Amino acid sequence: MKIKKDKFKDALASIAKEAKVFLPMKGVYASEYRVWDGAGEPFFERNTALPPKELLFPRSERMYEYDLNAGTVTEAAPDEKIVIAGIRPCDVRSVEHLDKVFLESEYTDVYYRARRENLTMIAYGCATPAPTCFCDSMDVVPTDAPGADVVMNDAGNSYVLTVNTPKGEHIRDLISSFLSEGKADDVPAVSCSLKVEKPDDLHKQLIARFDDPMWETLSDACLGCGCCSYICPTCYCFDIGRENRGKTGTAFRCWDSCMFSDYSRMAGGHNPRPTKKERLRNRYLHKLAYFPERYGTSLCVGCGRCIDKCPARLDITNVPDIIQGSESNG
Amino acid sequence: MNDNLAKMREAAKRALESGDVGYVIGWGATKFPDKTSPLFMRKPEDAERLVWNEYAIPGIAKYLLDDLYPDKPIGVFVRGCDSRAINRMMKDNRIKRENLRLLGIPCDGKDDERCTICRNRNPLVYDELLWDEAPTPEPKDRYFRANAVEAMSADGRYAYWSEVFDQCIRCYACRNICPACNCKECYVDMTATGFQGKQHSRSDNLIFGVTRAFHVGDRCIECGECERVCPMGLPIMGQTQKILKDINELVGDYESGVDAESENYLGVFDLDDKDEFM
Amino acid sequence: MSVKETNDPKIIAFCCNWCTYTGADLAGLNRSHYPENVHIVRVPCSGRVNPQFILRAFRNGCDGVMVCGCHPGDCHYSTGNYFTRRRFTLMKRLLEYNGIDPGRFHARWISGSEAGKFRDTAEEVTAMVRKLGPNTRYREYARREMSADE
Repeated sequence: MKIKKDKFKDALASIAKEAKVFLPMKGVYASEYRVWDGAGEPFFERNTALPPKELLFPRSERMYEYDLNAGTVTEAAPDEKIVIAGIRPCDVRSVEHLDKVFLESEYTDVYYRARRENLTMIAYGCATPAPTCFCDSMDVVPTDAPGADVVMNDAGNSYVLTVNTPKGEHIRDLISSFLSEGKADDVPAVSCSLKVEKPDDLHKQLIARFDDPMWETLSDACLGCGCCSYICPTCYCFDIGRENRGKTGTAFRCWDSCMFSDYSRMAGGHNPRPTKKERLRNRYLHKLAYFPERYGTSLCVGCGRCIDKCPARLDITNVPDIIQGSESNG
Repeated sequence: MNDNLAKMREAAKRALESGDVGYVIGWGATKFPDKTSPLFMRKPEDAERLVWNEYAIPGIAKYLLDDLYPDKPIGVFVRGCDSRAINRMMKDNRIKRENLRLLGIPCDGKDDERCTICRNRNPLVYDELLWDEAPTPEPKDRYFRANAVEAMSADGRYAYWSEVFDQCIRCYACRNICPACNCKECYVDMTATGFQGKQHSRSDNLIFGVTRAFHVGDRCIECGECERVCPMGLPIMGQTQKILKDINELVGDYESGVDAESENYLGVFDLDDKDEFM
Repeated sequence: MSVKETNDPKIIAFCCNWCTYTGADLAGLNRSHYPENVHIVRVPCSGRVNPQFILRAFRNGCDGVMVCGCHPGDCHYSTGNYFTRRRFTLMKRLLEYNGIDPGRFHARWISGSEAGKFRDTAEEVTAMVRKLGPNTRYREYARREMSADE
């Protein structure tokens, strides 16, 4: 199926009648997936500064409210239907990873599940990888997203749509009046300029080098800010707190980052990760070793955001490079 | 430029070969031509990795706080902004002059909005100067952000800062790069005190923004690193510029970090200070 | 202590132990009446008051904040209030710059004998804040239905 580009917004408007539509858009300061107000232009040129994880796992989320005077506890139950139109394949993969953590492990997160069930993803096949992108080295195909409900690819003056799931069929029915028959011409293959070579047993090698001096040199320039974790589409750590006013209040959870000193600090003040070296090692190992060990796939999807935004220009691809280099050196 | 780079590599190499310094901090290449990363040179041959170009923007003075008790002095390349940062941290008793080996490099200005207000391209403190100083061009409006915001109405200002801090992800990069933000432990990390709510709400983001600015405002060296490191590109110098502007209006010419002796504005008082609180 | 959600303004006054707090005490001894909207927090010196106290007060639901101490020159610790003066001269401007109405933040010098001045100041600030209405800026709402921002 095809949809003419000039009909794209009309199609979005028909979707917006029954769901909140999010589009990658430029903001005043940074690009992100924003609620589409009916007029805003999509920003497809490169991936957004902020990842879409916020829509499933908000920066700060009210979990429940309590009122001890009335003796009530009200749990939050997010039930808003959300459609992301134009999510990139790397970000679709990141949602698949979050699913593994929040839905498929022993414990199911109710807030995440409620949001995830109400989410439909229309992926936008990436035609313009940024210099920092390396998703094709992380087993993502830039132009295809098997995890999305619909995949959309640029074909000149129209988009070619491929429907993957029942949710996607529903979207197709909603916008059927704008669709025309048309077979997907072969979507030209897209390749990232940044390539990462990694051995198959990268995670094993990394864990074996837990005490390697390389972590010191890798973390030299690290500032210890939480930028990389907050703009990472797959970093999912959170903290739980309470906003209390006498006998009423709210429990909330908010993003947290393993790069902060208070993240691993224990009662009494001991910190098992006292310096940036341990913290950065933990973050890299979580992406490239611990997660693969547990779930069989790398947690890094190669979106390149952390490379692009890191104030000290740290580069996660240096880690497999070092391993690869020392391997070839024998 | 290439001449200067050769001089820098030579100086770093000499310092490392002589064994006078433990390591030298400069700038190194990344995989991307338009980005440089702070580089820590430990062996004489590491000096070959040093780069000096229009992208050598990151401030490198703050890294001195990562190593407060070095075995040997730390070598560091200092531009004007880095030298003011070092003055600031020395005055704040965070680093000691004898632990530093300062290789002065007069800066040629970088293609960055923040560098247009630069008042000192030449280092103000150094052990050796690698090439000749050049005059700093007339800086643009020192308070360009603050002036723009001051022109708005009160509601407009609140709306402006709300929009800015709604976008803030509270990664604290601005805090971690700032040479004036040099407390041993930040109030933000002392979660039990309750000064800073951890939730990412408008109020807590605004409170972080204003508090950060007030904590560093009178000691701000105007390097603009807080804005450069901001992954969201927020114009947060508008807060510190306002404080500096007010100080300059209250007591006349005031600048921080130009030497390691002057007291910061809020660290002292004058019996004749303006009194508005009758 | 719980903060009641009412339309009546709530004002926090950070009062120095040696002057203003004593002045407020004297106002009570004199049986002079000041608005109960003003809630006093006793601090050892007005120099103890940290700008975060002000932000925190607004955040947690206060509509106005006062910082009161000894007259310059009379500080029990000799110099504390000179620092207060510098600090809050800047802070007041910064708050205004960030869109907080100048009527919501006041710093005053009130000595131990100025019971009348304390009463007058409390009345004046309460009237001003009442006119401005409830503060929504910098405010963190404990429950969603009360939130104005989101």
